[in-house]
Amino acid sequence: MSYVAIKGGKAAIDGAAAATDYLRCKGSLDEPLTLAMIEEQLRLLTSRVVSEGGLYHPRLAALALKQFQGDTLEAAFALRAYRSTKPRLLESPPQDTSKMRCIRRISSAFKEVPGGQYLGATYDYALRLLQLDLANEDPAAFKAVAQSFLRDTPDSELPDNFPKVIDALRAEGLLPPVVPSRAPAFDITRDPLVFPVPRSAALATMARAETGGLLAMAYSNMRGYGDVHPTVAELRVGYLPVMLPHPVTGELMEAGEVLITECEVVAMYEGSNGDELPTFTLGYGACFGHNEVKAISMAILDRALQKGMRDGPTNPSEDPEFVLLHVDGVDSMGFASHYKMPHYVTFQSDMDRLRTTQQKMQQQDTEATA
Amino acid sequence: MNAARKEWPAALCALPAAEVKHLANVLSGELEVRDVALPHAGLGLLNLRDGAFEESYFIGEIPVARAEVTVRSAAGDEERGGALIVDDRAQLARSIAILDAVMAGKLPGSVPAMALVQRGMQVRQQKQSERKKLLAATRVDFSLLGQEDDEDEE
Repeated sequence: MSYVAIKGGKAAIDGAAAATDYLRCKGSLDEPLTLAMIEEQLRLLTSRVVSEGGLYHPRLAALALKQFQGDTLEAAFALRAYRSTKPRLLESPPQDTSKMRCIRRISSAFKEVPGGQYLGATYDYALRLLQLDLANEDPAAFKAVAQSFLRDTPDSELPDNFPKVIDALRAEGLLPPVVPSRAPAFDITRDPLVFPVPRSAALATMARAETGGLLAMAYSNMRGYGDVHPTVAELRVGYLPVMLPHPVTGELMEAGEVLITECEVVAMYEGSNGDELPTFTLGYGACFGHNEVKAISMAILDRALQKGMRDGPTNPSEDPEFVLLHVDGVDSMGFASHYKMPHYVTFQSDMDRLRTTQQKMQQQDTEATA
Repeated sequence: MNAARKEWPAALCALPAAEVKHLANVLSGELEVRDVALPHAGLGLLNLRDGAFEESYFIGEIPVARAEVTVRSAAGDEERGGALIVDDRAQLARSIAILDAVMAGKLPGSVPAMALVQRGMQVRQQKQSERKKLLAATRVDFSLLGQEDDEDEE
């Protein structure tokens, strides 16, 4: 593919940048958006960007959303560009997600899960009707919402974290056993995906995949190009303490926390292999931020990809190459956007070939009729 | 009650950075602080153990800042301090490393430093209490469901 260098475009490109900023600033409001407003009031949008950008930095994600005027693909791209300028200082020891400080925890497999179910903040049971009073929200009433929630909700003695639902299933022998793996986790930021790839590469790729892309692949599996109806054993949202070694003592200490969404799905059991008893199959999904659709989609695809890796794919969602090479938002957006770039040379070539073909055919017709 | 050393960084990070830096600056004027390594900020690759099969994978990256110092008092007492925090402010990490050394060596200034840690722990406790309210307000009570006709269950 060839492109052509063009002179004279600089003024237009500078003008485009100014025009873009003009549209950002020309609105009827005098006040620019603050990063805190974006991070807190558009928390789910910020969550998408931290997860798709692959960098847990909500404040920079908010900045990227502000700069790119709400475009999540561009914002994730900017976050990845930022991360590429920073040195890699460490690789954390494996973190245990059972230590998550949950703000939401549900199971569609059991009513009575150990520790109980908590809906947390969710739209799951809300009517999808526009709340018209938000259009002109009174600032005083806005502040009062948070204050009254905290005031009216009594303190509770709930534990800091909860046991995993699948632990109970595993204890009963209904899930495949855990086989300890010593294989190092695959780093998708340093190594290209060369198939076949280990499961850790698939999980890492899906963890920073574009939500819509991942959902589309998972939906194909849910709707018919797969033969399972998975059950959400557990979906949890919460803050995971990041445990890193103290620089002097080496003892693990809490260095901070990250908000993550995590999901485990169980699906139809598989036939026994030799003397082994049949067990449910299992899928796992997790991502930075609060993004339940993404975590569920990832869990469904993890299960599908495990099957595809083991038995060979029988539908697109079980094909690691098909799924993993098409779910990245920055990759796919970049390819789609590149079509906007000048293709003058290649298109000139296409036109020349078409004209030549037409001329040859016209000549053949003329000769045939002569 | 004094908090364990491994709890200090999270407690200090819960406070406004300006407060932590201010105390570290004040103590730096009274003590001799040497950088063991220059404070720096960058990224850490976050390794998670997946909840299904306990395999390790990388969910993404986090900002990290790291600092390591040696602090010496006028009396000649010396202690090493360090900080490794999920943050991109290297100077905040250095301030925490100074306070870490001061508290670990019980050097002059350890009392206000520990008071700062205690306050940070209270802030963290308050935040966790607010999060638990999200749970407490939304706990599902299935005992009511048991009183209804179970035929409605899916």
